[in-house]
Amino acid sequence: MIIEIGHFSVTIALVLSVFGMASAALALKTRNADWARSGRMAVTLIFVLLGVGMLALVYSFIVRDFSVLYVANNSNSKLPFFYTVSAVWGGHEGSLLLWVFILSVFSTLAVWLHWRTQPTIMPYLIGVECAIIFGFLCLIVFLSSPFERLLPVPLEGKDLNPLLQDPAMVMHPPMLYMGYVGFSIPFSFAMAALFSGRLGEEWIKVTQRWTTFAWMCLTTGILLGGYWAYYELGWGGYWGWDPVENASFMPWLVGTAYLHSVLVQEKRKMFKVWNLFLIIVTFSLSLIGTFLVRSGVLTSVHSFATDPERGLYILIFVGSVIGIAFGALILRSTKLKSQVEMDSFVSRESIFLFNNLFFLVAAATVFLGTLYPLILETLNGAKVTVGPPYYNAVFMPIALGLLFLMGIGPYIPWRKASVANLKKSFSIPLLAGAVMVVILAITGIRNLYALAGTYVVAFSGMAIVMDFSKISQLYAQRNSSNIFKGCLTAFTANQRRYAAMLTHIGVLVLVIGIIASTIYQTEKVVSMKVGDEMSIGDYRMKLTNIHDVEGGNWKAEEGVFQVFEEETLITELRPQKRIYNATQTPTTESAIYAINMGHIFLTMPEVSPEGVAVARGVLNPLILWVWGGGIIMGLGVILNILRPRKREE
Amino acid sequence: MNKGTQLTLVLVLLGLFYLFYEGLWGNPRHIPTVLIGTDAPMVEGPDVETGEIISLEQFKGKVVLLNFWASWCYECKVEHESVLELHRLFKDNPNFVMLGVNYQDKLPDAQQYLKEYGTTFAHMRDLKGQLAIDYGVYGVPETFVIDQQGKIRYKYVGPVTGHMYTKITQEIIAPLLKGQPVSTAS
Repeated sequence: MIIEIGHFSVTIALVLSVFGMASAALALKTRNADWARSGRMAVTLIFVLLGVGMLALVYSFIVRDFSVLYVANNSNSKLPFFYTVSAVWGGHEGSLLLWVFILSVFSTLAVWLHWRTQPTIMPYLIGVECAIIFGFLCLIVFLSSPFERLLPVPLEGKDLNPLLQDPAMVMHPPMLYMGYVGFSIPFSFAMAALFSGRLGEEWIKVTQRWTTFAWMCLTTGILLGGYWAYYELGWGGYWGWDPVENASFMPWLVGTAYLHSVLVQEKRKMFKVWNLFLIIVTFSLSLIGTFLVRSGVLTSVHSFATDPERGLYILIFVGSVIGIAFGALILRSTKLKSQVEMDSFVSRESIFLFNNLFFLVAAATVFLGTLYPLILETLNGAKVTVGPPYYNAVFMPIALGLLFLMGIGPYIPWRKASVANLKKSFSIPLLAGAVMVVILAITGIRNLYALAGTYVVAFSGMAIVMDFSKISQLYAQRNSSNIFKGCLTAFTANQRRYAAMLTHIGVLVLVIGIIASTIYQTEKVVSMKVGDEMSIGDYRMKLTNIHDVEGGNWKAEEGVFQVFEEETLITELRPQKRIYNATQTPTTESAIYAINMGHIFLTMPEVSPEGVAVARGVLNPLILWVWGGGIIMGLGVILNILRPRKREE
Repeated sequence: MNKGTQLTLVLVLLGLFYLFYEGLWGNPRHIPTVLIGTDAPMVEGPDVETGEIISLEQFKGKVVLLNFWASWCYECKVEHESVLELHRLFKDNPNFVMLGVNYQDKLPDAQQYLKEYGTTFAHMRDLKGQLAIDYGVYGVPETFVIDQQGKIRYKYVGPVTGHMYTKITQEIIAPLLKGQPVSTAS
């Protein structure tokens, strides 16, 4: 019964989305605010109804109602409670419902938050959001409903994919979706600006926090996905340039470009068409990402079901949204011309322009690599896979260039910088980079990427430190306070700027982690019997026992490895080779020990019946900096969003 | 935005749409090796038992079956019997050669494995997995068939048992030995 209520609510929400679009159209035609108010009510009700739908599905999972096909396919009576809830978005149907539910939450928030300040934009916003909701709800109601019953009722469910039974996987999809969907709000405002012809800076200012929030969610989602891949997939890496990973990375890259270029429009009224273009591309890539992941067009480690019919529907829908958006942009673009020309190439606006070009080239690189197999197959039927070597070769130089720009952009003046100015701001950072490279070279590091990476990180880091300490001193002098208070006042008085700098510091920390853990990773695969030892780096690992262990819904062979540094026992690692009972799917559970900001990472992918284990040991130096950098970035963004409103507006 | 940019944008979008549309009807799981139809890398390595260098070069003009395996790999044990059977079937044909490639292993373990399970053909050492890189090996066991012209004709990832055994013996090796063309789809 409960599931039918869910089904019914979602169907009504579909009807209401049509009503929402109609009210929006009527509000525009009749200029009658009552229609806009009806539209607002429709959006709010859609949120409530989809909430009911979600709750009904969650409830069916909690009571393990296997008469619901989706529940039977994605859970099991032995599945731990925690994962029973996250199993709601463990499959295609449920994750689509989550997508559209998050969309309805954001739409409702946007409509209510901006109702007073943006009355003329509202009908457009309601119309666009309802149209996107409508597209996804049609898919859910007609082609992939999570509410279908299964008869006869099975006694047991098939279980959630064991790889998804993991804490990071509980949060990864919602965060990613919040990122994708979050971009729909600036997208809708941009569409409103295009349709209404109010193409000033207003929509950019209104959506700045939305964009930042969406960006934060997407970043967190990507990092969580990387963290999950790192310890769950067992290859000791966190990023494999898999098509599905790329699908989330492309909107991130263009979204980041957008996040920066809007600053130029705010301050200098330039880049108008460009910003519209960027937000349309960002949201389009979010939609294309959803299409790529859900249609099974590309080969990926993510084993999602392939169904051409459903894929075709998503393609038509996504194609329509993108087509209309770009169509509107093309028609309006003739009217849009920056009133301001660039004064000089040595200026902040030009650095931002380069920043944007680099981000777009990076995104295009990833896009091409992801789609190349598909392009080649369509042209001549050949199948190829594009792997990490391509991406590393092409992407690394672009990333280094971006990091370098990151050290210049915030500290070069708008309009035109003088030579004296450049000297004053950048001679010390340039020197700091050189000093760091010399130090590394003396310690024996010769890898070109490591040295170049260190140079740009030291350069950009020093630029941030210099700028902040200068401002803090000024504040301390002015208020005759000490330097710590000066720092605090400097930060709170310029919270938007320095929160962004904190995010930049997070990026630098992350990059150091990526460089160290990629270039200086050591790996060893050894087959061992009980009593055997293997050494990796400065550590020795002794296999002391292999025994059977059992969890709620799995059995495993567990290897007990004592880890020694010289003669001192530092820890015991217990990697497992698990078999999940319901699906008989094997997984390798890694065992990780954090030491000196890095990880000793151990998996045991094979155990032969004769008791010979294959152990795979990986040393990942400084890998904790990757996650630490992510946390600092997040902190920066939160401080950015939470900055007091009045001070700047 | 000028006319040229607009036109490019429209063309790019249409192209993408067409690409995705075409992509929907393919099977992304089906990945034949890019090496099929290309010259087989002429690798060489020491014999697991004797240490003498075996080179693929010396078997040019023959049909060669390369089987990548490791002592730590369970699936390799599964296929071992049928791999030996396959060798028995064709070993009297002077134009057929079968070679094992021992992948990322410890030499004593590999030797012990061969002693324990028996073998009737030679095996190259690839203890660091370098030969495997030339062949783009995903994981063991993996089997390649090379024709008389030295071109890779077939590749299979997984144990050669049951219906794969029948396919490789009857549809790949037998026709190749008779000089007939084979289907390269794996």
